[in-house]
Amino acid sequence: MELEGAVVLVTGGAKGLGLAIATHLQGQGAQLIVADLDAESLGALPESIEGHVLDVTCPDDARAMVKEVAERHGRIDILVNNAGVIHSEPMVNILNPAEMMHDYDRFRNSITANLDSVFIMTAATVEQMVLRRTKGVIVNISSISASGNEGQTAYSAAKAGVNAMTVTWSKELGRFGIRCNAVAPGFIGTGSTHKALSDTIIEHIQSKTPLRRLGHAVEVAKAVTALIDNDFMNGAVLNVNGGLTI
Amino acid sequence: MSGFETNARLAEVLADVFSLPVDQIVPGLTKADVGNWDSLKQMDLVMSLEKEFGIALEIEDIVRMDSVDNVIRVLESKGVDLGA
Ligand SMILES: NC(=O)c1ccc[n+]([C@@H]2O[C@H](COP(=O)([O-])OP(=O)(O)OC[C@H]3O[C@@H](n4cnc5c(N)ncnc54)[C@H](O)[C@@H]3O)[C@@H](O)[C@H]2O)c1
Repeated sequence: MELEGAVVLVTGGAKGLGLAIATHLQGQGAQLIVADLDAESLGALPESIEGHVLDVTCPDDARAMVKEVAERHGRIDILVNNAGVIHSEPMVNILNPAEMMHDYDRFRNSITANLDSVFIMTAATVEQMVLRRTKGVIVNISSISASGNEGQTAYSAAKAGVNAMTVTWSKELGRFGIRCNAVAPGFIGTGSTHKALSDTIIEHIQSKTPLRRLGHAVEVAKAVTALIDNDFMNGAVLNVNGGLTI
Repeated sequence: MSGFETNARLAEVLADVFSLPVDQIVPGLTKADVGNWDSLKQMDLVMSLEKEFGIALEIEDIVRMDSVDNVIRVLESKGVDLGA
């Protein structure tokens, strides 16, 4: 699909990877709409990017926003499901015998933030694509953790679920001319990575990565562009991880 | 274009979508008679009909198409000449 003039909705695009993706796609001529929880960061976006405060885990709000955007722009061509929250918690924390096991509420919250959100936004957007016969593209931001990352039960499960939904939708939505792909970043040098991981762990990750560095946000954005651009890519989960396996 | 050709085109579309021999596509055939006529097949049918006949079907049309008879009715309501 041509990006020039395409109407693109990026969730969680007010900062981090989402902002890098939104900016990169805008640079290719797309019209950018960003939906994010973080009103303050949305306020700092350039005027050329349309910002909406939205909690992507709320189905009714998501459906209403997506419908309104599709009506105003005539369609939504591309949805990038980027909003997510990295959550690390060991299954067993022997140093905290009183509450040794992974908390169930935090497990559920992580699944909601990283898996339900993708379902909710895709359902709302595909509804508009099907009703308007838009041969659109869905790009889900997965993670290297989808293959099972130590200390990330819920996040890994959610991202593995995202990969499974990506493949399912590629099969189910292909009949409408809608493609669905995912990008699975490895460790990218974003604020969230530095917040979630200590310097020592980051150094360890870099030493294990064949390219001996963290990725740049724009490298993830370029992978998103490639999946949008190539009209025969469908059901792909594209790794952007410097060759690291976990 | 003659009616025969138009009907043949419709039969081809239906046979292709439901993986049935063309001679089994008769007006009386209903959703209940066709084992694999589910919601996914319904959307395959919609996309194939839209492409073949150059029409746009609305949700109400899609819901109405539960037999070959009703597919014909919907197509005729869209101005498709099936030569009946
Ligand atoms: N940074 C990495 O190294 C890395 C690696 C692999 C995958 N990812 C994935 O990339 C995506 C972006 O991550 P990031 O590192 O940029 O994180 P980030 O925390 O910097 O940005 C995430 C954005 O999503 C928004 N958001 C979170 N929950 C939301 C909700 N319920 N509704 C609306 N907006 C919400 C936040 O407000 C924030 O602006 C996530 O899906 C993450 O899992 C990141």
